[in-house]
Amino acid sequence: MDSMSALADAVSAGTVNGRLWFYSNYHCNLQCSYCLTESGPLVKRREFGRDAILARAAEAQELGFTGFGMTGGEPFIRDDMPQLVAELGSELPTIVLSNGTLLNERRLRELEPLADLPVHVQISLDRPDPVENDDMRGPENFRKVMEAIPKLVERGIGVRIATTLPDPDAVDPEERERLCELHRAMGIPDEDHVVRPIVNRGRAVTNAMGVLAGFEQLEPELTLTAEGAFYSPFGPTVRGGRLDTDLLVSRTTRPLSEPATALLRLAEQMPEGDDARIGIR
Amino acid sequence: MHPSPLVELIDREQAPLLARRFYGDGAASPITASLAQVPELLEVALPFVGVALGPVSLGARAKEVAILRTSALLECRYCVRSHTVVALDVGLSLEEVGALRGERPVDTVFTDERERAMIAWIDAVALGRGPVDPDVQAGASAVLDDHELVELTMAVTATLMLNRYCTALDLPTSPETEARLAAAGIT
Repeated sequence: MDSMSALADAVSAGTVNGRLWFYSNYHCNLQCSYCLTESGPLVKRREFGRDAILARAAEAQELGFTGFGMTGGEPFIRDDMPQLVAELGSELPTIVLSNGTLLNERRLRELEPLADLPVHVQISLDRPDPVENDDMRGPENFRKVMEAIPKLVERGIGVRIATTLPDPDAVDPEERERLCELHRAMGIPDEDHVVRPIVNRGRAVTNAMGVLAGFEQLEPELTLTAEGAFYSPFGPTVRGGRLDTDLLVSRTTRPLSEPATALLRLAEQMPEGDDARIGIR
Repeated sequence: MHPSPLVELIDREQAPLLARRFYGDGAASPITASLAQVPELLEVALPFVGVALGPVSLGARAKEVAILRTSALLECRYCVRSHTVVALDVGLSLEEVGALRGERPVDTVFTDERERAMIAWIDAVALGRGPVDPDVQAGASAVLDDHELVELTMAVTATLMLNRYCTALDLPTSPETEARLAAAGIT
């Protein structure tokens, strides 16, 4: 099959998302109570090598992908991440998901080239109050995030805020407004603030939190890890130290056309319409 | 007690997307549940094995003779026990099963010339090194058409692959298989 035209056509038609995700690593300086990947400082790292990421990214452009995403674990726990994100962002629009707590002055300097690129750093901020926020994400998280975001903004680096809640529809409107006032005050407009539910995978299962997310509820969005290709960035989750395989597409990640073709096959099995899909971007 | 398998056998809940169709309504076999670790491998291996070991021009009886005999020669516990049950199901007698398992002489149980030539071929392919003895080749060619010889040889060689796969990974036989063997008085 002509993988390039098939994937590009599917992206144009909206049957698959045009963003290719990479799980750079699974370790993290935090241990959030709802973490999909049970990340923490001592977990198995499952690092996806820089050269392999760049090689797949080059293939992705040829196939017709339209953007990149980087997630983990905490990507910026890796020393090579600023340069890697800059290289990806030099090719296609890129978003990197971060907890925002490792952005010290050295790291901020390394990130400065991103200001000239179509790159966004998406930082997690769940609640407008330190105590409630840090209860789910760890001590000092609120303070560190509130310090980091303005420093990124003043350097001209694109920032998005991601708020993850057990039930976004049940949030007190007054609390939500206070959170929005916070991000607006830091120069982040409403369109760059995403609110999504906790997904019932990983540590959220252990802690009985979140909404279920299976094949039928998720958008096809090819996601590469060091251990295989998955249907969605919500696929390569970890529970009890074990990598989930229910949304595994293939162990093959190269050439990228192999998992891309498999993803297209799976996308064809999706029911018509997207009413069942949950809003977890 | 049988040791635990060396790799995780993936259950239905964790079955990868492209592996789900191989799980059916019942429990997946240990071969399926282990191959599901690599779904792209499962997708090609299982259909291949299904054709290679299923009846094509040779009937189910001949195929089970090949599978059980090869598995016994390779001492694959999983395959011997699983295919003892299948062999009985397709009509082989307890004596024939015992002979194929090496528990009694084959020549005294299998008297049909074609089946004896087939078993000689199976033994030579499964255990031999280098070229097959010309007399065994001639004996098989005398009773089997070319397409049958190809099918039989592929059945033996596919079984060899599975024998080593199942043995190396310590795949456990299913409780259903063990219950059937116990009911038939087979240890």
